[in-house]
Amino acid sequence: AAGAAPDYEAAELYTRVFRVGALGRCWRQRLGPPDLSLAAEVAAEADADVAAELGCAVETAAELRGVCSIDMLMSSDKEKDPDVIPEDSSLLTLRIRKKALEKREETIIVDRACRQETLAYEMESHAIGKRPDNPTDLVEEGELLLTLNIFYPVIFQKHKDHKPYQTVLVLGSQKLTELRDSISCVSDLQIGGEFSSQPDQAPEHISKDLYKSAFFYFEGIFYNDRRYPECRDLSRTIIEWSESHDRGYGNLQSVKMEDYTFNDLSLKIGFPYLFCHQGNCEHIIIITDIRLIHHDDCLDRKLYPLLIKKHWLCTRKCFVCKMYTARWVTNKDSLAPEDPCFFCDVCFRMLHYDVEGNKLGEFLAYPYVDPGIFN
Amino acid sequence: MSSVPGLQADCEELLGAFQEADTVRFERFAELWRERRFHTIFYGRIRALERNKLTKKTLELAQQYFLPPYAFQIRVGALYLLYGLYSTQLCQPKQKIRIALKDWPEIQRFQQDLIDSQHYDAAYIFRTLRLSRAFHFTAMPKLLNYRTKKKIQENEFKEEFKDPSNRVNSLITNDVLEELMNIHDHYQKMKCVISADKSQPDKALSLIKDEFVVTLKDITLEHQEWQQNRMKLFLNAKETDEISNKKEEGILLESEGSERANALARIKYRSYSAVVEASKSRRHRQVKLESSESGSNYGKSPNRSKKNSRRPQPARRRDSLEVK
Repeated sequence: AAGAAPDYEAAELYTRVFRVGALGRCWRQRLGPPDLSLAAEVAAEADADVAAELGCAVETAAELRGVCSIDMLMSSDKEKDPDVIPEDSSLLTLRIRKKALEKREETIIVDRACRQETLAYEMESHAIGKRPDNPTDLVEEGELLLTLNIFYPVIFQKHKDHKPYQTVLVLGSQKLTELRDSISCVSDLQIGGEFSSQPDQAPEHISKDLYKSAFFYFEGIFYNDRRYPECRDLSRTIIEWSESHDRGYGNLQSVKMEDYTFNDLSLKIGFPYLFCHQGNCEHIIIITDIRLIHHDDCLDRKLYPLLIKKHWLCTRKCFVCKMYTARWVTNKDSLAPEDPCFFCDVCFRMLHYDVEGNKLGEFLAYPYVDPGIFN
Repeated sequence: MSSVPGLQADCEELLGAFQEADTVRFERFAELWRERRFHTIFYGRIRALERNKLTKKTLELAQQYFLPPYAFQIRVGALYLLYGLYSTQLCQPKQKIRIALKDWPEIQRFQQDLIDSQHYDAAYIFRTLRLSRAFHFTAMPKLLNYRTKKKIQENEFKEEFKDPSNRVNSLITNDVLEELMNIHDHYQKMKCVISADKSQPDKALSLIKDEFVVTLKDITLEHQEWQQNRMKLFLNAKETDEISNKKEEGILLESEGSERANALARIKYRSYSAVVEASKSRRHRQVKLESSESGSNYGKSPNRSKKNSRRPQPARRRDSLEVK
């Protein structure tokens, strides 16, 4: 069924609301099998077919093949090496680029990719073109691919203006719960409790296991995770608040996350929405792109939701050895120079406990999970 | 995304040369491309991550010339440009050309036009791109990530590349004129029916000009002519005066018709070119260059313009059309 094609509601910023599934249908209606095909290779065309479609003679078709070939765009052989910018180029782009490269050569000692760049490139490209061993895991032709930016909850002051985010690819036919399970947030790994008196007994349960509730908010509907008995409707408070007075929010609804796929949603591209878990850990979500799947994309269903970009966070190191990532944080610590103070496991024990394991000095100790743990 | 420095200039230079060649043949385009060794635009010691980003931005820029409001010849040039950039890019696998759903019908129409006009090379190239799956079929042309703080780039694309804006013609089409004529006739007949003398309406009922539809048609035609002249004038003036400021351009474009008017306008431009720009804090009260030539009839209602319609005057009226 054709609706109007998605278009801007706020120019260059975000679109009007539309049904994701309808977009897929619209495109599939307008395109033919060759456009949608995910085959790795396509056969070359016969001149007769070209002639038929263009309404010209077969000889013309053959001539076209020659006249329009890519070879017509390549000039003499002397520019074979793409690393070398030709000396006498008439292109402004190249003149500017050459200057920039020369400037870099003056200032940089070693010109190679740093580990952040290597990681970023790997993440972006590692799944390209991957096909599954099992054909049932192959993504279907005409499937929609959504690109989502999931922002980190603001933890550091320095991130106030440019919030760091992860970029995830999901398929239109995937359930919301699949995305929810794939979101890795440091707040899920928190261990609650003060353990200065019993450092060896930090409990096994992390927050993720204890507080399973979560919801997505898209266009007036809260999609709550209700798969487990412990899950609660976190959106209830908001809905009650909205309904208590005429606040102008219209009809907010609450439904089950596990009953919906991305194709079922109505949403705007480029508009901020919300993911909330752990009761108060909130992530902004923006859908930046929706398009048809292509044969060069990752075609293994099992790899989706696919993380293609994440923000590199520097881990906090132990105050003592400055080598290992901090695993403990102390407050009101008579033995520490700062409050709060971070320690790795070894240094923490060496400083705060004697050989028999008795607590030395006064302090409060909490297990610490660094946000950079996902690097 | 920030733009690739120099790229817009290079693309516009190539498209401009193609426009001047006054043809839509790929052979000619390929010649111009080879002259400039355009395939080297991807060269330089660039690592893979950067190269991906660069290529995406390059294709995104070229793609913008492929859609309206650009003139037919520019759009064909853009198609060839996209073909060239897509085929000669260094990324593996290749970066794709994005096509939004809202633009697809227009592109289909364009392809059909090419086939109907027997521009086989252009049609063949579009077909080739499509068959080699060079496109991503998307919801929107660009990725949208709610960048409110980032300055939205005002890409001032060249005026010459655009088809003269056809707002008047798209509003007052032949169909509309025909319909208006019918309604007008019907109206006249109704007036006769309720008048004392059945052969003509009462004087008291004469509220609009009888030939108003004909006049409207004339005005529309004049507007079209004026636009075409304006384009020619603009191109001439550009060669001699190197206009870059749109304000000055506006003044120049106002003159049309006779040579004398042209000369007058040029003199005025020169003498007014010393306008002082208001300081930044008073930008909103920028000095406006008002034309001293008498106002036109374009902004006035049709029934008042008939007498002057033979000597159209340039206008800077921004009032909406009044219709009694």
